[in-house]
Amino acid sequence: MRPFRVALMLTLSLVLVGLSTVAVAQSDAQKSFDKLKTLAGTWKGAVKATPALQDWDNALIWISLRVTSRGNAMVHEIKQPGTPDDITKDDPITMLYMDGDHLTLTHYCDAGNRPRMTAKPSPDGKTVEFEFTDVAGSTQYGHMHHAIFTFIDANHHSEDWTFMMPGDKMIQAHMDLERLK
Amino acid sequence: MDLEWNDNQPIYRQLRDRVVAMILDGVLKEGDSLPSVRNVAAEYRVNPITVLKGYQQLVDEELVEKRRGLGMYIKTGARDLLLRGEREKFLAEQWPTIQATIQRLGLTPEELLKNGSRRSSKADAPKEKG
Repeated sequence: MRPFRVALMLTLSLVLVGLSTVAVAQSDAQKSFDKLKTLAGTWKGAVKATPALQDWDNALIWISLRVTSRGNAMVHEIKQPGTPDDITKDDPITMLYMDGDHLTLTHYCDAGNRPRMTAKPSPDGKTVEFEFTDVAGSTQYGHMHHAIFTFIDANHHSEDWTFMMPGDKMIQAHMDLERLK
Repeated sequence: MDLEWNDNQPIYRQLRDRVVAMILDGVLKEGDSLPSVRNVAAEYRVNPITVLKGYQQLVDEELVEKRRGLGMYIKTGARDLLLRGEREKFLAEQWPTIQATIQRLGLTPEELLKNGSRRSSKADAPKEKG
């Protein structure tokens, strides 16, 4: 009986350790999502590409972030400054939400596909980094592959979006953003 | 460049195709500069990230090059590279179907050449005033 008891105790301990790890991971993901919600608003900034295409030329961009669905989702839109909403435009939409224990985003690309990415736990809470999970739709013309949100202060943050071109070549758009409202 | 976009391909790909067509038609010559990302985005009202993707595609295909601090330029040999690619594409994708049709209809090379030269001389002839 004794060895059985020891084995049982050991198993229970391992289960408890496992459960507490999940609980921490859950709370990290939710904390990251709550922090992302503080970015709700309109942002303006410049885009820089890596590899650099024109290092002298930073194109301007607007980003809109909106919390919706009773706080269950966030809508992120990258826009050309001063343009009205128009379905013929190529402005991509991203939805951010909790999928069970994971902070997830789905990017609705003008290339016609919908990649999903999952947030990694952030060690310092200053960044939320999303890694590619899977993609629905054709990737013939490439797909968005990676995203990082970096918090600076209440009125500044930066975003890095990595697009995988056909042939698996990456292009990264870095945006330094300032809050408009 | 034309302002109309179609729904068949992403805009970045259509932007790439337009630059390619302009190189093949001789509108953009080797050594010519491309307009800046900022200007293309503003003028054609497309997302700057779309323009970046279109330009990156042209760089990946070695049709344009970056000159540090200056901008992007059509590379020397870009037109030849494109022509070679387009010819290979035609021979691989379109020619087999055309060749099969010619054989099915029993057309001879003489008939094809005669018809081709008749059409081209019609196209070259000055148009009558209506």
